[in-house]
Amino acid sequence: MIELRRVAAVILLFLGVGVGLHLLMDPLRHASQPAAVKAMTLGAGLALAVLGIIGGFLIARFPKERIDGVAGHLEDMVRRGTVGMVVGETDADALGRLGHAINHYLAFVKDEVEQSHMTAKERQIQMKVLEAEKRHVEAVIHAISDGVLVMDAFGDLVLTNAAAERIFGFTFDASTRRPVDEAIHDKRFLELLHDMHETGLVVPHRTLEWAQGSGEHTHVWRVILNTVVEGRKHDRVSGVVAVLHDVTKEKEIARMKSDFVSNVSHELKAPLSSIKAYAEMLVDGEAADEAEATEFLGVIAGEADRLGRLIQNILNLSRLESGLVSTNKADLAVTEILGDVADVMTPQAAQKHIQLEVDLAPVFFHVHADRDLLYQAVLNVVSNAVKYTPERGKVSVSTYLEEGWVVVDVVDTGYGVPPEDIDRVFEKFYRSRHSAGGAAGTGLGLPLVKHVVETIHGGQVALESHVGKGSTFRIFLPAVR
Amino acid sequence: MTCKVLVADDDAYITNVVARKLQNAGLDVIVAMDGREAYERAIAERPDFLITDLQMPGMSGLELSARLTAELPEPIPTILLTAKGFEIDRTDTDHLPILHVMSKPFSPRELLDNVRGAVEIGALS
Repeated sequence: MIELRRVAAVILLFLGVGVGLHLLMDPLRHASQPAAVKAMTLGAGLALAVLGIIGGFLIARFPKERIDGVAGHLEDMVRRGTVGMVVGETDADALGRLGHAINHYLAFVKDEVEQSHMTAKERQIQMKVLEAEKRHVEAVIHAISDGVLVMDAFGDLVLTNAAAERIFGFTFDASTRRPVDEAIHDKRFLELLHDMHETGLVVPHRTLEWAQGSGEHTHVWRVILNTVVEGRKHDRVSGVVAVLHDVTKEKEIARMKSDFVSNVSHELKAPLSSIKAYAEMLVDGEAADEAEATEFLGVIAGEADRLGRLIQNILNLSRLESGLVSTNKADLAVTEILGDVADVMTPQAAQKHIQLEVDLAPVFFHVHADRDLLYQAVLNVVSNAVKYTPERGKVSVSTYLEEGWVVVDVVDTGYGVPPEDIDRVFEKFYRSRHSAGGAAGTGLGLPLVKHVVETIHGGQVALESHVGKGSTFRIFLPAVR
Repeated sequence: MTCKVLVADDDAYITNVVARKLQNAGLDVIVAMDGREAYERAIAERPDFLITDLQMPGMSGLELSARLTAELPEPIPTILLTAKGFEIDRTDTDHLPILHVMSKPFSPRELLDNVRGAVEIGALS
C-alpha cells in the first residue's frame, strides 16, 4: 500500500509539473495572445507545477511522518520507562494494523513487565524477611554462651559465634572462608569434626566430652555434634555443626562432692577408730591397772565427743546455708570469745607442741553478733591454723580496731596456702590438692567461717599466705560505736 | 632377739593404743607422728616391721614404704592402716613389701595377729 502511495505521489508530481510546465511554455508559443491571457496561463501553470510538487511530496511524505510518530511514541515510552499505545483506534490501514499489532504486543509486554515488577517486589520483601531472619538467628547464635561452629563439606569454617572464637582463640570473618584446620589448632577437636563429617550418615548425632588444655588449666567441654545432610536421598553430608558447652564447673563440683564424701567419712573414721580400739583393749584386758583402764575410758569418751562435734559441724553448715538457723544477736566483747576459744584450743595445740599465743587486749571491742556462731567461726579459724601448722610451730591470735571494724588476726607458722588456692579455701568442700600437711579435713570449716562472718554478721574474711612460711587469717566485724 | 616395730600415725591415740597392744605382746615398739619422722627413725633404727597410716603430714604411708624399700638393703614388711581403703590401687602396693591393708576402724587384736603371723613366717623363712 505504501508503494502504491509512492507511485501515486510520483504520478501526481509529474502530472502537476508536466501540465504546469506546458502551461508555462504556452505564452511563449502563442506570442500573439493578449498579455492578460498570457499572464493567467503562466500563473495557472506555475500553480499547477507547485501543487504537483507539494501534493506528490505530501503523499510521499505522509506515511514517514506517521512512522516517525510511532517511533517517537516508542522512544518516548522507553525514555519514560512506560508502556502504552503507539497509534489511535481509528487507523484502519496497514500502518494502523501494524500499530495495533504493536499495541497488542506492547500490552502483552506491559502485563509481563507488571507481573515481573510484582514478582521482583515480592522477592525483595522475601529477601528482606530472610535477611532479617538471618540476622535474628545470627544474633541468637552470637548471644549464647555455648560455643557454636559450622564446617561445610569442603572443611571450611562457615559460621561461628563469639564463644567459639574465645574457646579456640581465632577471629571469624564471614567474608573470607578459611579451612577449619587453619582456625583451630587442637588436633583432637579437629579429629572429632572430620570424623563426624566422614561417618555422619551412619551416626548423625553425637555427644562427647573434650578436654582442652592440661593440668590445673584443663577445661572440659560437652561437645554436641550434628551433621547437616543434603541430597534427594539424604545421602550427602554437607556440613557439621558443633556446639560446645562448658562442663568444667560441673565436673569440679562432682569432684568436690566426691572428695567431700570421702573426706567426711575419713574424718568420722578417725575418732571411731580410737573408740573401737580402746574399747577392744578394755575387753581384752590389756589395761595394766585401774588407772590405765580409766585412761582408756577417757579416750573413748573424748573421741565420742569429737565425733559428735564433727557431725554437728557438718549439720551446722548445712542448716546455716539453708537458712534454718535463727540467730540471736547481742552486743558482746570479741575478747571474751577469744578467751573461750583459747581455753578449748590450748590442749590440742599442746599435743602438737604448738605455742598458742592469744593476746587478750585490755580494751574490749564490742560487736553485734550471735555469740555461738561467732565462737564457732573463730574456733574453726584457730583450729585450722593448729591443724595446718607442723609440730613446734606457733599460732598467735590478736584483736584490734581499724576504721570502724573489729579485726581478729590468726597468724600461724604453718605450711601455707599456694597462691592459686587462696581464693578457693573458703569454697565449700574445697581442699587443696597441694595441701603439704596432708591433714584430714571436711572442707567445711572455712566455708562456715565465711558464711557466719559475711552473710550473718556483714563482715569480711581475708587470707594472706606464703607457702612454707605461714598464713594470716583475718576476720573483720562491724564495730559497735 | 625381740622384734622391733615402728608405728607411724599422726593420731596420737592410735599410735598409743597400737604401741600398748604390741608391747603387751612382748614386742619392742618405736613411734613416729608423721611420715618424715617415721622415715628418719626407720633409717636410724632399722625396725623389723612397720605399721603405718596411709594419710600423714609430710609423707604418705605409701611414699614412706617406697623410699625405705629403695634406700634400705632389706625391705621392711609393712601393714598399712587407712580410713580410705577403697581408694588404694593394688598397683600402688604390689611392688612394695605391704603384707596387709587394714581399714580403719581396725581391731588391735587383729593387727597383732597379722604382725605375729608375718614375723613367724619371716622367722621360718
